[in-house]
Amino acid sequence: MKSADMRISSLISRFGKYILSVGVIASITAIFFVLRDELDTTLIALLYLIPLGLITAYWGLGAGITSALLTFLAFNYFFIQPYYTLAVHRATDVVILIIFLIVAVVISQLVGRMQASLIAANAREREATQLYELSIALTSSHNENDIAKILAKQVLEVSNGEHVEINLMGEESFHLDEVQKPLRSPELVVPIQSARGLIGEILLWKTESTIRLEEKRLLETFASQGALALERARLRQAESRAKILEESDNLKSILLSSVSHELRTPLSTIKAAASSLRGHEVSWDSPASVELISAIDDEADHLNMLVGNLLDMSRIESGALKPKREWNILSEIIGSVLAHMRHLAEEHQVKVDVPDSLPLIPVDYVQMGQVFTNLLSNSLKYAPVNSMIQIHAQIENEMMHVQVSNQSPQIPTEHLERIFDKFYRITAADRVTGTGLGLSICKGIIEAHDGKIWAENIADGLAFHFTLPLKWDGASPLKLPTDSETE
Amino acid sequence: MSNAPHILVIDDELQIQRAIRTILTEKGFKVTTASRGEEGLTLAATNEPDIIILDLGLPDMDGVQVCSRLREWTQCPIIILSVRDSERDKVAALDAGADDYLTKPFGIEELLARVRVALRHSARVQGTQSKIVKAGDLQIDLAWHIIKRGDEEIKLTGTEYKLLSYLASNLGRVLTHQSILTHVWGPADADHTEYLRVYMRQLRKKLEVDPERPQYILTEPGIGYRFIAD
Repeated sequence: MKSADMRISSLISRFGKYILSVGVIASITAIFFVLRDELDTTLIALLYLIPLGLITAYWGLGAGITSALLTFLAFNYFFIQPYYTLAVHRATDVVILIIFLIVAVVISQLVGRMQASLIAANAREREATQLYELSIALTSSHNENDIAKILAKQVLEVSNGEHVEINLMGEESFHLDEVQKPLRSPELVVPIQSARGLIGEILLWKTESTIRLEEKRLLETFASQGALALERARLRQAESRAKILEESDNLKSILLSSVSHELRTPLSTIKAAASSLRGHEVSWDSPASVELISAIDDEADHLNMLVGNLLDMSRIESGALKPKREWNILSEIIGSVLAHMRHLAEEHQVKVDVPDSLPLIPVDYVQMGQVFTNLLSNSLKYAPVNSMIQIHAQIENEMMHVQVSNQSPQIPTEHLERIFDKFYRITAADRVTGTGLGLSICKGIIEAHDGKIWAENIADGLAFHFTLPLKWDGASPLKLPTDSETE
Repeated sequence: MSNAPHILVIDDELQIQRAIRTILTEKGFKVTTASRGEEGLTLAATNEPDIIILDLGLPDMDGVQVCSRLREWTQCPIIILSVRDSERDKVAALDAGADDYLTKPFGIEELLARVRVALRHSARVQGTQSKIVKAGDLQIDLAWHIIKRGDEEIKLTGTEYKLLSYLASNLGRVLTHQSILTHVWGPADADHTEYLRVYMRQLRKKLEVDPERPQYILTEPGIGYRFIAD
């Protein structure tokens, strides 16, 4: 049933123009017929040219020519004496008829040709616009998935198809997920070809089984635009990889020069102290020997810290620093860090203001300990002896906000961000010891925890701030099992 | 000096072997050394040492494996030596039966303190276990479930008591999160470190003079807890 209907409708659409043209000519002929006595034959001939031109303009050359011939017959039959025959008696009428026929056919052809070229121009303009839109959309996207998405969307729009799928070599196939992929094989497959070979293909499913030549050509142009964009994206990726490599290479050379200097300093002290004790330059029971021995001990600790920092940094750089999150109590972490740093903090007052009511936070205990250790040792290093170091924590905007402040000299505003960079030092390297890595390790750890860290000059010193999320995968800590009080 | 405690050191780094042997011999211990895991296992079986100091990074076998092989037949205290940032290995070794750990590089006082704890512990394992644990002015009666600070009794909830008694009966030993959780809450809750954190805070508030700077219940970062008496 449906196919029969469709056949009829396609027949109508195909022959409709002709039927309509015949209708128009017939009705005009009827009007002229009524007015035949009032109008001159030549005027009728001229008036006939108007509908002819319009028919050709609207319904094309075929309908135009058909109407011209029909009009010629109608004119001859109804309006040239003797009426109701195709015979012509007067010589002037013969001339009129011949001229009419020639003019009608020429007009039809001229108008028709103009019309056809107008349609072609329109089509070309639309193609150009679509291509332009595609290339604009493609230039703004840098990743392959985005490019595939844009390409699929544009192809679907232009082709008026049912479904589009983009297959890229070595990637998962991409398709717009609004429509279910048809079970049959695609009607059109266009390869996406780059200078270095095939990089993918566009698969198009289209209900109308005939795909016009221009359509195919346009899709091929789309495919080559897509190929260019993909090529560009891949080059960009390769470039950024190269940049990362270069940077890490750069880091390594800075590291090597910084490290060899930093490692040699404590080693020199240890070597000097140990050799003088061994060679009996200093007697074992003199106060100097105690001094030397504690220098060896301190410098060994310093070396150990240095190596630890380097390991942490290389782990952060290579992206291997993955926090082992657990629900932890901030004050417990701070407490164990302070217990560990007891001997370091003897020359300063450390005040901890962390309310008991704070919730558990999802952090890596050891890494957070490292953050506090580094911030505190930074404070101890720069703040004057006997000054106050404060640790304060509170909830702010659904984040844990921690502040470590000290009374060290202020930092010029333009350096505040850069102190978290690797090997960045404001003062000359000889004034304080360290790797210049402590703060950048803090930054790496806090960022791995989805938090933020920054520094700020305060009235009488410097404050480090950092934030940490209170939720873990969107969840708050579990409710604890209830515990029955005994006795 | 025939009854001097015997310590077996299993470490492949000769300099460390040399340093530990020198110091421990000086302190009156009898020291045997091994550089490989298999060699260490054989020496442990033939010499029956009082303490084993075991490095986790051995050339021929995994230190954790050595631990579990030892635990198949001996309760001799095992002290693990390892480098920083290998919490996972330490926890694995402790769960495999090791008693304590030291992070390289370590100070010699730390090593001696661990050795003393281990000797005391092995004495307790061999003799009858004391039912009363004393730590500072704290007194924990494991038989009668009574905890006192001085003369004042401290009231604990059921879970708090279970937690404290497990810690106190393993005086000086490092207990991993997992072993405490399994022991106090049961194997199903072995991953809920948050229970441990919260109860430990409550317990410290009741027992410690300054809960923020505890002196009895110590946190071993990333590993577990340890109850100490001095």
